[in-house]
Amino acid sequence: MKQTPDEKSIQQKMQPGNLTLKGFLGNDQRHYHEIIAEDLKKLSQLGITKEQVADKLQELTEMAYENFEGLAEPEPGISVEYISVRGKVLSPFSGQKPAHKGVIHYHDSIRNLSFCWTPLNIKMIRDYGFFEGKGSDNRLDPEIIYLAFFKD
Amino acid sequence: MLILILQTTGLTALIAGLLSLILVIAERYLADYGECKIDINGKRKEVVKGGSSLLATLNEKKIYLASACGGRGSCGFCKCLVLDGGGPLLPTEKPFLTTDEISQNIRLACQVKIKQDIKIQIPEAIFNIRKYKAVVEKIVDFTYDIKELTFRLLEPATIDFKAGQYVQLHTRSYEKIKNPVSRAYSISSNPSQSNLLQLIIRRVPEGICTTWVHDYLKEGEEIEFTGPFGDFYIRETEADMLFIAGGSGKAPIKSMLEWLAENKSQRRMVYFFGARAVQDLYLTEYFHDFEKKLADFNYVPVLSQPLENDKWEGRTGYITQYLTEFVRDCANTEAYLCGSPAMINAMVKGLKECGIKDEKIYYDSF
Repeated sequence: MKQTPDEKSIQQKMQPGNLTLKGFLGNDQRHYHEIIAEDLKKLSQLGITKEQVADKLQELTEMAYENFEGLAEPEPGISVEYISVRGKVLSPFSGQKPAHKGVIHYHDSIRNLSFCWTPLNIKMIRDYGFFEGKGSDNRLDPEIIYLAFFKD
Repeated sequence: MLILILQTTGLTALIAGLLSLILVIAERYLADYGECKIDINGKRKEVVKGGSSLLATLNEKKIYLASACGGRGSCGFCKCLVLDGGGPLLPTEKPFLTTDEISQNIRLACQVKIKQDIKIQIPEAIFNIRKYKAVVEKIVDFTYDIKELTFRLLEPATIDFKAGQYVQLHTRSYEKIKNPVSRAYSISSNPSQSNLLQLIIRRVPEGICTTWVHDYLKEGEEIEFTGPFGDFYIRETEADMLFIAGGSGKAPIKSMLEWLAENKSQRRMVYFFGARAVQDLYLTEYFHDFEKKLADFNYVPVLSQPLENDKWEGRTGYITQYLTEFVRDCANTEAYLCGSPAMINAMVKGLKECGIKDEKIYYDSF
């Protein structure tokens, strides 16, 4: 696959030990372009956009952020918790500002769904449609996102 | 037809790629900018070989601007006022600068290449920043995820800093970590002990530097750090002092209290330390001892989620609910905060509700 120097640098920065300990690709062997293309296709099939996903994650993140050391409950049976730590993490994508470190835990006891994301995930999803590779700790699977946020 | 288009497109991309490569090689090996002068604050002039970034060139002259990405243009920390000779603003800088900063000619030093004489302005305090070599004298476990590191300075042998400031610790390579990183940590030792430096470091999940500190760094090893940085320090007034910290945020407050005790401060002070449960508390007796060393000081740990078997008899809930007990004159109270961004956000709101003004609330925003 032909890559521009910038794309090569992004793929490199996504590897473990570059910007974060485990990287952004998990055990996914695909190029980040392929991961993005497949996830965007899945979103389109589900009838949602990356911006809608980012908006929802942002809304929940802000709600959890305001509930320092507590759980936010956007709906009965759903809890969101922001584990905030000092420091910032750099984005593998050129030109994206560093994001706050920290992780947001989501738990839906009714649908039995649990997953987590970081402030950086929201930026990467909004700007590039990058949900991280399969097996990555903070991978957000579009189908699970759809089930959690958009399915009636 | 399609094949022809694809072949043409592919060929064009290949030629463009080759040309870019040639330009990069030519820039690196053939471009000669000769000697250039850097005018710093109109006071200091450095003659340097052109061709490198402003950040790297200043580092060679032992002038250290903050940087967490090693000059890769991805952290945006190395901001610097360039008065003349910086060349045009690059697209790689724009995302990190506000409109105001752009209009004031603030640039990212790692992206500005020295190709001609250049005039810059930097805070005077930056001249006090040095790169230090030190040896790890002691590592102490404070909790299951917090360690205290004590470094004995080797070169330079002493450091001059204000209680509350921070340093950037540089990692070495380990396992999959090929590129060393730099991370900011508040100094926890007393400035009067100028031949040593202490840090309190909490393990961050996925953290490259904290994993190195917690799992790889050993006593006796040599390390490097740069500093001191930051505007978080004690304001020399007679105002009441409110300290609030959580987790490893205890570090700069420890440094401040040690300094205040040594200098026999008569100011009225209270220190609220927020934690979830007893397992997250540390140095409790140490901080209660300041109640004897300082004229008017109280240490108040507050647990938000104590466990049943903690048998905790102290205060519970959130620090903000206890602020009004301490604040007797909001116009005459300074607040010094250190903790996670969410903690700072919650505390700033609580302090403002108490009537303490923004300009009297001090914290580092990293």
